[in-house]
Amino acid sequence: MNDHHEHDPGHEHDRGDEQDAGRRMPRRDPRAPRGRVLDAHLHLLDRQVLDREGVPVTTVDDLELDGIELGVRIQPGSPPPTLAAILTGPQLLMRLFGGHAPAARRIAIPWKLVSEVGTTVRLGVDADSLDASWVERWVSRHLIGRIPGGRHDPE
Amino acid sequence: MILSDLLGSDAFDAEGRRLGAVLDVRLEISGAPAQLLAETVVTGVLVSSHSRFSTWGYERRGEDGPFLIAWLQRRLHRGSFLVAWDDVELVDVGRVVFRAGYEQLDPMLPQAPREA
Repeated sequence: MNDHHEHDPGHEHDRGDEQDAGRRMPRRDPRAPRGRVLDAHLHLLDRQVLDREGVPVTTVDDLELDGIELGVRIQPGSPPPTLAAILTGPQLLMRLFGGHAPAARRIAIPWKLVSEVGTTVRLGVDADSLDASWVERWVSRHLIGRIPGGRHDPE
Repeated sequence: MILSDLLGSDAFDAEGRRLGAVLDVRLEISGAPAQLLAETVVTGVLVSSHSRFSTWGYERRGEDGPFLIAWLQRRLHRGSFLVAWDDVELVDVGRVVFRAGYEQLDPMLPQAPREA
């Protein structure tokens, strides 16, 4: 058996998992990745989104994918769907309890503003330029700003 | 389309046999260059025949600790597999259908570079 493996350099599934010996192991994805590989749920959902300065903006409540038409057969060779936006706002409740927020109520941060994906998702813009931070801006202007001393840093 | 509509959908083969549920969607930052990151494209869907929920991805990484959690997770997601997006024929509400002759691939993620 071992001899067989030694003479078969292409055999990539020998991970020493004796329990799985009787089960057919699926082969590895033959296409070499051309960039960073992410699993949407594992690597993106619920991650914190930080702006250019490292200020927390929101979390990734859901993602919008472009290029998938429901109920329409996908022609072989058609371009793959792309990641269009990070969704936030009421989207988390929708994800947990089901249903859909009307498109107008969804707060989207276009994926093209993302500069880095790691433990957090970093944006290449300031939080103030995004719709996603309007609640924060509104509270700071209309509530915190009206408290005496609320418009400047502590001295 | 919203990602959470796809997650948990039932996955079927071309003959209509149920294979499991869509656990996750595999992405690759490798499309057309954009201003900051390259375009992020969908390259496949992960299917689990035993669970509808993705958890910590033990079945997709070589990590094996803490032992008990890793063992439970592996057991829950045994037999999960990846199907390339090219093998997806149809996406509908709560349903994903693969093409005839689709291939079940190993769901392991390629080794990610360690960040400093």
